[in-house]
Amino acid sequence: MNNTLLSLTIAILFGLGTFMILRRDIIRVIIGLSILSHAVNMLIVSAGVFDGTKVPIITETHGATDASGTVFNDVLAEGILAPVVSATTHIQYVDPLVQALVLTAIVISLATTAFILILAYRIHEEYGTTDIRELRRLWG
Amino acid sequence: MIDISKHIPIILIAVPILMAAIMVFLKSSPKLQKSLNVFVTLCLLALSVVLLLRVWTDGIIVYEVGEWGKYGIVLVADLLSAGMVVLTLFVSFLSLVYSLDYIEERSLNSTYHSLFNLLMAGLTGSFLTGDIFNLFVFFEILLLSSCGLVIANEKGGVTKASDKMEATFKYLVLSMLGSIVMLIAISSLYATVGTVNMADIAVKVSAMSAAGTMPWHIYPIALLFIVVFGNKAAIFPLHYWLPDVHPTAPSPISAMLSGVLIKVGVYGMLRVFFLMFRDVLPMFQPIIILLALVTIIIGAISAIGQTDVKRMLAYSSVGQIGYVFLGVGMGSVYTITAALVYLVNHAFAKSMLFLTSGGIIHHAHTRNMQKMGGMIKSAPLMGAMFLIGAMSIAGFPPMGGFIAKFILFDAGIEEGFYIPIAIALIFAVLTLFYMFRAWMIMFWGEPRDFETYGEYSSHALSPLLTVPIIILAIGVIIFGVYAEPLIALAQATAVQIVDPQPYIDAVMTRVVR
Repeated sequence: MNNTLLSLTIAILFGLGTFMILRRDIIRVIIGLSILSHAVNMLIVSAGVFDGTKVPIITETHGATDASGTVFNDVLAEGILAPVVSATTHIQYVDPLVQALVLTAIVISLATTAFILILAYRIHEEYGTTDIRELRRLWG
Repeated sequence: MIDISKHIPIILIAVPILMAAIMVFLKSSPKLQKSLNVFVTLCLLALSVVLLLRVWTDGIIVYEVGEWGKYGIVLVADLLSAGMVVLTLFVSFLSLVYSLDYIEERSLNSTYHSLFNLLMAGLTGSFLTGDIFNLFVFFEILLLSSCGLVIANEKGGVTKASDKMEATFKYLVLSMLGSIVMLIAISSLYATVGTVNMADIAVKVSAMSAAGTMPWHIYPIALLFIVVFGNKAAIFPLHYWLPDVHPTAPSPISAMLSGVLIKVGVYGMLRVFFLMFRDVLPMFQPIIILLALVTIIIGAISAIGQTDVKRMLAYSSVGQIGYVFLGVGMGSVYTITAALVYLVNHAFAKSMLFLTSGGIIHHAHTRNMQKMGGMIKSAPLMGAMFLIGAMSIAGFPPMGGFIAKFILFDAGIEEGFYIPIAIALIFAVLTLFYMFRAWMIMFWGEPRDFETYGEYSSHALSPLLTVPIIILAIGVIIFGVYAEPLIALAQATAVQIVDPQPYIDAVMTRVVR
């Protein structure tokens, strides 16, 4: 149920972003790009929400006594690490990897957005306008 | 004492990043900055050659960053990666030497060296990584650093600042959209197969395909990857940024962009489609061939009408990358061999032409070919070098371009792709036409009207500008006269690409700590 809401949010953000990058004002284009990158970030996070058996790393038998050799199967003499729930409780797991991925993506989009904002400022200095249709000194 | 030879893959990525930081601190001593950067780049080039030789003798080298096996980041050096890294660092080294005298002092001193190192790190990183998300990260590194480099000022200031801003804006917006598309593809892929390691994805996708449970959205994901790499390589629907960006960049950076950076797209296509999606590849081959043909046609026709020498070369790059994709799309060992040979030859010839165009611009103080003419008397060296490059791009016998075109067409005919090869052949003739048209306008005929446009510069070119051009020219001729080693290397690489099992084995049989 939550996932439907999440998907809907992502879809709306993608729509908004696409609408904004088709605007004529450079600043709106940049805002559109940031909205799109946030939509993508949410998409990545949503890819890490799993239900029950399809968990990529932590298994259902997590914390059980068998040492199956999986990397994250820490038992540490029954002082079970990682998700602090009993193995029998059914919960939604969240894959930790996607959060690492999304952090990287956020940092990168920060850098590119900063760069493109400075570029927009310089374009405004050179052209005296932020109308994207005026940027046609090069053509082809 | 650390055994350096075991750590070459990470050194090739980490040292340029470290150098980028060091260069900022060495701002106060430009001489040290220059010599250190050139020296380190030369060392990296030597190391990459060692890496290629080791991969050639010992097979694929896998370097685990942090010993997490396939769960962590792995760097994989197979023949394709190692070969591309050698090519990248070779062109980078020559461009760097060239730019020492070509780029304006202030720009060179403050940011150029750092950004150039970051660009090298991005390129070697995207070639060496074995992790699809890491590929995205390195794409972003090379995107941002190349944007910064396009804005760098050259001496004399032939290109207006506003042009640079406009071109960079187009490049950046399109590339940001490309990276957003790439993230969508990666996250959907991760949600489907639960891994971002390329070899692991390959295993899981082919297992799903063998079991008949391949989800339908593998196809749209593969299409998204075509968009991503097509954007990087500037193939047909996504090529509009290239003819703006490559000419406005300073010449050594144009050489990097045209020589190496658009090849990242080809590399990505080879890696993603022939490793990860090889089970769905037959469906995408016609698409790649069609896009390649349209790219060839658009590039050739647009290049004919240009008056700006660098813009003409940029459109020629668009056309030539189409030939590479044609070989990739046909997808057999022989055609991929041909595509790789073509790629190397184009990298050499086009880098050389862009560097030469820098010399020509330095000589004539304009990029407009109509305002040149009769320069063969005042700049004979540039004339000879441009002719060598033009002959190679057009595919004339003693040059490397001939061998490349010959085996590409031979491979295509052998595979039975008669119509695509016929179209490619017709537009190869157009290549001949526009390259020699440009050469004749610039170097033959009467010298330009000196009263209107001013005298040609009598200032002789320094060795820093001419030596890299001559080295590349020698390379172009060697690839034409003695092409066997290159073809043998390309063939071994193509065998590895078409049958990725050794790659997968090398990555997957890691012991996880």
